[in-house]
Parts: sequence; C-alpha cells; structure tokens
Amino acid sequence: MPRSVPVLHTPPPNTGSTQYIQPVPCRLLRNIRRQNNWPRHTTADGTHKRTRIRMNTVTVSTSVKQSLMMSRRANRMQRLGQMLGQAFLFSITSLSAIAVLFIFVFITRDAIPFFMPDAGSFNWSNIRQFFTETAWYPSARPGQFGALSLFYGSAMVTLGAVLVAVPLGISAAVCLSDVLPFSLRQIVKPVIEILAAIPSVAYGFFALVVFAPLLQNSGGSVLAFGFWLVALPVMGIACMLAGETVGARFSETRRRAAALTATACLGGASLALLWLIGRELSGMSISSGANAFNVSIILGIMALPTVVSVSEDALQAVGRELREGSYALGATRAETIIKTVMPAAISGILAAVILGVMRAIGETMVVWMASGNAAQIPSPFYNFMEPVRTLTATIAGDMGEADHVTGSSRYHVLFALALALLAFSFIMNLVSEAIVRRSRKKLGK
Amino acid sequence: MNLHTRKLLDRSFTAAGFFAIVMMACALILILYPIISRGLGAYIFRATCEHRRVQFEEFQAGSRQEIEREAAEIAAVRQPVFDMIAAHEKDLKAELQEAFDQVRALAAAEGGFLQRSLERRLKRAHADASLEECLAVLSDIRESLKGQYDHERFIGVIGVITERKQRVEQAAGKLSDMKHALRDLLGPLPGDRRPELLRSHYGQTRWDRSLHYLDKFLYRYDWDYTNAENTGVKTRTPRADEFRGTDLEPAFGYVRDNIEAMMQPRLTFYWRFLTTDSRDAHFFGGIWPEVLGTFYLTIGAMLFAIPMGVIAAIYLCEYARPTKTVSLLRSCMSTLAGVPSIVFGLFGLAFFLNTVGVSDSKSVLAGSLTLALMILPTVIRASEEAILAVPFTYKEAALGLGAGRWRTVLTVILPAALPGILTGIVISMGRAAGETAPIIFTAAVSVGLAISPLQALDSPTPALPWNIYNLCTEHEAVDEIRHVQFGMVFTLVALVLALNIIAIALRARISRKLRG
Repeated sequence: MPRSVPVLHTPPPNTGSTQYIQPVPCRLLRNIRRQNNWPRHTTADGTHKRTRIRMNTVTVSTSVKQSLMMSRRANRMQRLGQMLGQAFLFSITSLSAIAVLFIFVFITRDAIPFFMPDAGSFNWSNIRQFFTETAWYPSARPGQFGALSLFYGSAMVTLGAVLVAVPLGISAAVCLSDVLPFSLRQIVKPVIEILAAIPSVAYGFFALVVFAPLLQNSGGSVLAFGFWLVALPVMGIACMLAGETVGARFSETRRRAAALTATACLGGASLALLWLIGRELSGMSISSGANAFNVSIILGIMALPTVVSVSEDALQAVGRELREGSYALGATRAETIIKTVMPAAISGILAAVILGVMRAIGETMVVWMASGNAAQIPSPFYNFMEPVRTLTATIAGDMGEADHVTGSSRYHVLFALALALLAFSFIMNLVSEAIVRRSRKKLGK
Repeated sequence: MNLHTRKLLDRSFTAAGFFAIVMMACALILILYPIISRGLGAYIFRATCEHRRVQFEEFQAGSRQEIEREAAEIAAVRQPVFDMIAAHEKDLKAELQEAFDQVRALAAAEGGFLQRSLERRLKRAHADASLEECLAVLSDIRESLKGQYDHERFIGVIGVITERKQRVEQAAGKLSDMKHALRDLLGPLPGDRRPELLRSHYGQTRWDRSLHYLDKFLYRYDWDYTNAENTGVKTRTPRADEFRGTDLEPAFGYVRDNIEAMMQPRLTFYWRFLTTDSRDAHFFGGIWPEVLGTFYLTIGAMLFAIPMGVIAAIYLCEYARPTKTVSLLRSCMSTLAGVPSIVFGLFGLAFFLNTVGVSDSKSVLAGSLTLALMILPTVIRASEEAILAVPFTYKEAALGLGAGRWRTVLTVILPAALPGILTGIVISMGRAAGETAPIIFTAAVSVGLAISPLQALDSPTPALPWNIYNLCTEHEAVDEIRHVQFGMVFTLVALVLALNIIAIALRARISRKLRG
C-alpha cells in the first residue's frame, strides 16, 4: 500500500444547500437607497429627509401610506415597460442566434451556384469532381475544382495537431487538477492563458520564419531530438516495469538483484535500439521546412490551452467523493485517476478533444503561412514531411484573386469549401454539446 | 502487480504530468523568445550614420549640424576607397588607350567620310568619360568598321579593339560587381546618378545588416553546378583575389578595418518605429499606420460587441427562464463560438459588403462588425460567468430593500460583476486585435497611410496582423526587412500580452476581494 496518502486538492463540494453567506458591501446597497423613491417628509426647518420605516411602529405617516398605494394605471404602465424592456433584452440576445442563421444562409447562398449552376438542377459532375478528385486548378479554363486534396490536407494537419495536443493536454490537465499544489497551479495557469492569447499570426510567423528554416537546415537533428525526448523516458519506464515483472518470478532474496539485472539488460538493448533509430532520423533531410509536420506541431501547441482547460474542468467536476472512495480502497493516485476519475470524466475529456479539433481545423493563418500550400496528397499518404494545403488556407489564399470575379465558379467554390468547414464545425459542436449534456446527467448536476 | 511496480507506475504517471507541463512552458518560451529578442531589435539596435540620415531627411528628426558634422567625418573615411576605385578605372581606361590611338591613326590615314564619323565617335570618349562610355564607343567604332563594304582592310584595328575590349570588359565587370556591393553597403557612390528607389538612396541603416553586406562586399558568393548530380554548392571567394595587383587590392582591407568609422554604429532606442509611417514598402520608417489600424478595428469591434454581449448576458442570467427558446439561443451561441474565423471573413464579405453594403469596398467598419460577431460569444460567456459569480445574497439584499429587478441589475449586480466583465472584455479585445482571417476580405490592405477616425467608416486600413502576414510572405525583399517583421510581431504580441496581463491582474484582485 502507498505509504503516504496523497493530498486532495479538489475544493469542498458546493452542494447548494449550505451556501456560504456572503456579506453584502454597504456601498452597493447605498446605491439603491439613493435612487429609490423612498417617501420623504419635510422637517420643521424645511429640509427634506427620508422617512424611516420602522417595522414595529404602528403609526405610519399618511403621506407614506399614500405613496405606497400604487394606482392601477401606474401599475399597468410599469408592467408594460417591463415587458417592453424584456423584449428589448431578448431581441439583443437573439441577435447572436440570428447571426448564426445568417452565416449559414449567406454562406450557403453563395455556395449553391457551384453545385447548381442552373437553378434547380444539381451539376453532378461538378459535385463528383469536388469530392473525389485532387486536381485543384481554379484559374484554368474550365476551372478544375477537385477538393479532395484540400480535405485531406485539413484532415492530416488536424490529426497531427491532435496527436500532439491530446496526450500532452490530458496529462497536463491531470497534473493541474490532481498533482500540483495550489501555489504551483497559480503559476502554470497564466502559462496556459498566454499560450491561448498569442495571436495566430504570431504562431504562423514563428512557424514560417523560425521553425521552417530550422527544419529545413537541421531537420534530422530536430527529429532525432524530439524522438529521444519522448522515447527515452517511455523506454526507461517500460524497461523498469519489465524488470520488475521478471524479478517477481524469483524468490524473495534474489528478487531485487534479478529485477535490477533484467532492467539493466533491457535498458541496454533498448538504448542501442534508440540510438540506431536516432541515427537513422538524424540522417534524414527535409526538402522543405514548410510542411504538414511543422504545421501539426504548431497547431497542436495552439490547441493545447483549449484541451487542457476544458479537460481540467471535466476532471475537477468529478468531485471529491469518488477520489476519496478510491483512495480509501488503497489505490494509488495513478490508479485512482485512470480507473476512477477518467472514466467518470470521459465525456468532458471527449468534449475537450472535439474543441481542440475544431480549433485546429478552423485555424487559417498558421496553415496558410507554413503548410507549403501544395494542393496534393503526399506520397506515401502518411508522409508528414511534405507540403499540404488545407481548406482554410485555400479560402484565404484564393479569395484575393477570386473576389474580382464575383459570381464565377472559382468564387462560389470557395463558399462551398467554407460551407463544408461550417457544416463540420456545426456537427462537432452538436456532438460535443450532446456529450456534455449526457455527462451532466450522469454526474447528476 | 506488486507494491513496488504500482509505486513505480504511480511515479511515472506523475512524471508524465510534469513532463507535459514542462513541455508546455518550454513551447511558450521557445516561441516567445525569438519574437521578443529579435523583435526588440527593431526598437533597440546599433544604428549607423545612414539611419540618422534617413531619420533627418525623411522624418525631420535630429539636428542639422550633427548630421553634417557626421557626414563630413564619414566622407573623409570613405574617400580613400572612392579614390582607389577612380585610380583603378583610370588604369583600365589607359589600357584602352592603345586601341583609341590605332583608331585615331586610322582616321587620319583614311580621311573623308570615315574620318569624320570616327572622330565624331572618338570625341565621345574624351578624358572625363566613364569607363562604360569608352567601352561603348569602342564597340560602336568596331561595328561601324565592320559595316564598311571593304572591312577586310581594317582587320588589324578590329583585332586590337576586340582584344583590348575583352580584357578590359572582364575587369570592368568585376569592378561594377564590386561597386554594386559597395553601394549596397554605403549607399550611392560619388558620381552615381540619383537612384529611383528610395531604398537605394541610403546605405545600410543597421549595424547587423552592415556586417552582412560587408561580408558580401569582401567575398563573392557563387553557386557551383559542376557536379550535375548534386544541387549547387555555394562557393566563397575573397574579392581581393580578383583585383590582385591592381590599385583596388588594398581597398578591401581598408573597408574591413575601417567599417566602424565608415558606418559609425551607435546603440539607439528607436521609439519612432512605433510612431512613424513607413517609406518605400517598410524599408525605412515605422509601423504607425498598422498600429493605428489595429487600434481602430479593435475599438470598433468592442463598440459593437460590448453592449450586445453584456445585455445578452444580463438577459440570460437574470431574465431568461429555462425554456426551449433559451436553450436554442445558447446552442446557437456555442455554434457561433465554433465557427472558423475564415468563415467569419467570408460572411463579412458576403453580408456586410456585398449584401448590406456598409461601404463600397473594404472598410474598417465592415471589419469591426465582422470581428464583433466573432468575439460576441466570448464576451457573452465571460460576462455571464461574472454575473453568476456575484453572490446570491447581494441580489436578495437588493430585492429586500425594495428595488425592482432592473434596478437590482443596474445598481447591485452589474457593479459587483464589473471587474469580471472587464476581464472578459479585455481578453476578447486581445483576441480581436490579433485575429487576421476575418479582416482579410473585409478591412485590411497591404499598403496604406494612417487614416482618421472618420475615414474609418468607408476606407480600408493596414493592420498589424495582416501586414505581418503580408511582409513575411509577399514582400519583394523578405530577408531585407526581417527586423521590421519581428518588430511588428513583437508589437502585436506585446499588445495582446499586455491586455492579458491586465486581465490576469484584474482577476487576481477580484478573487482576493471575494476571498475577503
């Protein structure tokens, strides 16, 4: 059993029935007194004074009585005013809903002519070309609009970003919610906030001006370093675990020595393997620094804050009781989190991943600047070292040339791309909302 | 699994968490470090005398006496180089002399029409004529001699002309190459015609760029393609070798040793980078129009987004009952938050510009509206959280004193929630300032002057985010103005981070106050 009981950092649950009574600042209440039409009475020396209402006085002056009686007409006016006010508030609030509606309507309206050049009939060959071909030559005559490679590029960099952001983000969230003490957490939180605040064009600039030349000039070393950084600790832990398992087969006296020997042997072998792979990687040369790999890393870093903060919220929402129960049964912290907390928070974590995906797929500047903008499916298809082109970058890049020819198919095809993006983000949003709703129901909140 | 293994797993699990957090912090440092260190280089750098001259002539900054005194000093140091060039040119011209003598003799011997035409041409190659002119006259003469019907007679002269010309032309080519490199470093040489582009009116304004061009002056870089199977290999040869044995040979050593005296670098805090506009596509000057454009766009977006956002938050928190309509509204808002920023840009183009027509072309107004829509969900959510964080007791007390619902909101809840709302607003301001995609089609232009607030209604503006993109991808001389790009990125990031630090400080104050 673990010797030290882990410290719980989750705040005490707020059950609602035992709310802490907050003192009300007098300053705020004074506002009310000053503006409310409290009945006044005139004192002997002619100055006005506010009447004091005492609960236990039976004799209330007549003027007060009169003013407290509201005429029916004033009442009606007041209610009308309230209703109008509420209607006004509601209409302002619904503006954002109308905006969403308008976005859908206007993007669709300009996308439709691409699919239906003659009103009412679909142009099936156009649609087939759009979804299944990779030739993207909008300025050719007639234009070729095979957007498959663009869809593929978007999917590829998003996948790369998820591969970077999700493992890092979830481990960071776990660390933030269950491991770090409060004071350290206060230091780490601003780091996340600053990462989220840096403008996307600054990320793109970094990717293009700093990271891409680095990859192009010494890409092999960068890859080898990254590989060692990740693989070395993983291998080390795996070797130690394997050593322990081997040691467990021996008798009590020889267990320790056997485990150590096994760990050392395995460690040596895996080090040799790592060294070989690292040498192979460092010999690689990357022909262009502006490629899917570069963009994936940067997009992953950009999506990190979203993933971390949303999944941390989900982990916090699980509450103290489940953790306490698990610890009481003798589980270590890792076991508690993996076997108890994570399954309870899985829907929140999924929502975090979805939000991260949306952030990555909707990002424009980084991919436009640093992905190389080559409308192609890399060969082989999993080659992250080749330039790609994404939906967002195509919209941003081609619209500059197409907006002079408003109404042409190269203008409308960009709206079709936007519609695809919009539909994807809408569906993702619905899914994440459904997941969050389900999790709330499950947690009983 | 035994206890030992479980402990090991537990520790490695913790280590993975720490690893992730350290990686995140490292990523932040790695990204911010070059931006800050090189971005500060746009403001604080070793400025050469050329920089001070640009500032004086283009921006009327600095004192005339100072500039003139410095110009005299520099001219004194630079003069020997120009003298060496002149001497070398003279040598080359002297080498041509034999050819001219032969032509002159031929003209005297021939007489008649040929003499007149040759002498007319020879007159153009007088003593003060430049080397290029003399060469041009020689080839002219050769062509005219070749054009004669009995040109076999002149074969001797033509041969001499051709041989001399070839020899001198080779040397002249090297010389003009070297002069070109020198021009890049020091600005126009004496006797040059006034160049058309402003960027060639001055030498290098920064010491780091000066050293770069000094290297290009001292060495000649070529690509060696002799190995056809490989890509080209860069070769570097000292220029002094090309002029070995001529008057020009000592010039290279002289320039190398006296470059500090020639450029007079001085550490300068160039605050005008922020407050002046640019000249000749950001070769000189600052980024004021971009900063101002970003400012307009951000303020414009906030003007639309704050009232709408705060009112919507008030409605959602204080008035709305959990009906179907309200939950639909909420899911619309989260959809709006998830719409990709580039789609907002397209919507702004299709709706605000092409359908409503808020202005004839791109304008700050259209950009602000688009940005406002984009940050609306953020403002609403932040304000809602701030309002919900106001303790319920405040509201109860206000209602208990007889205030109506509206008055409670206005006098108690909003003031109490104000710091929280401000935090949200400041954060979304940062987001609006840094966003690029929505303004590409609605507000931003690559080149432009600072505009007045009134012009903002119907004219586009340069803006920091867009111009960062533009300068580092579409500018004609990307490498020449790296410092401007870094300076712009640094300014934008500093702006956004300052806003965020304000927000963090605000929030720290609130949490301190709430904790008592």
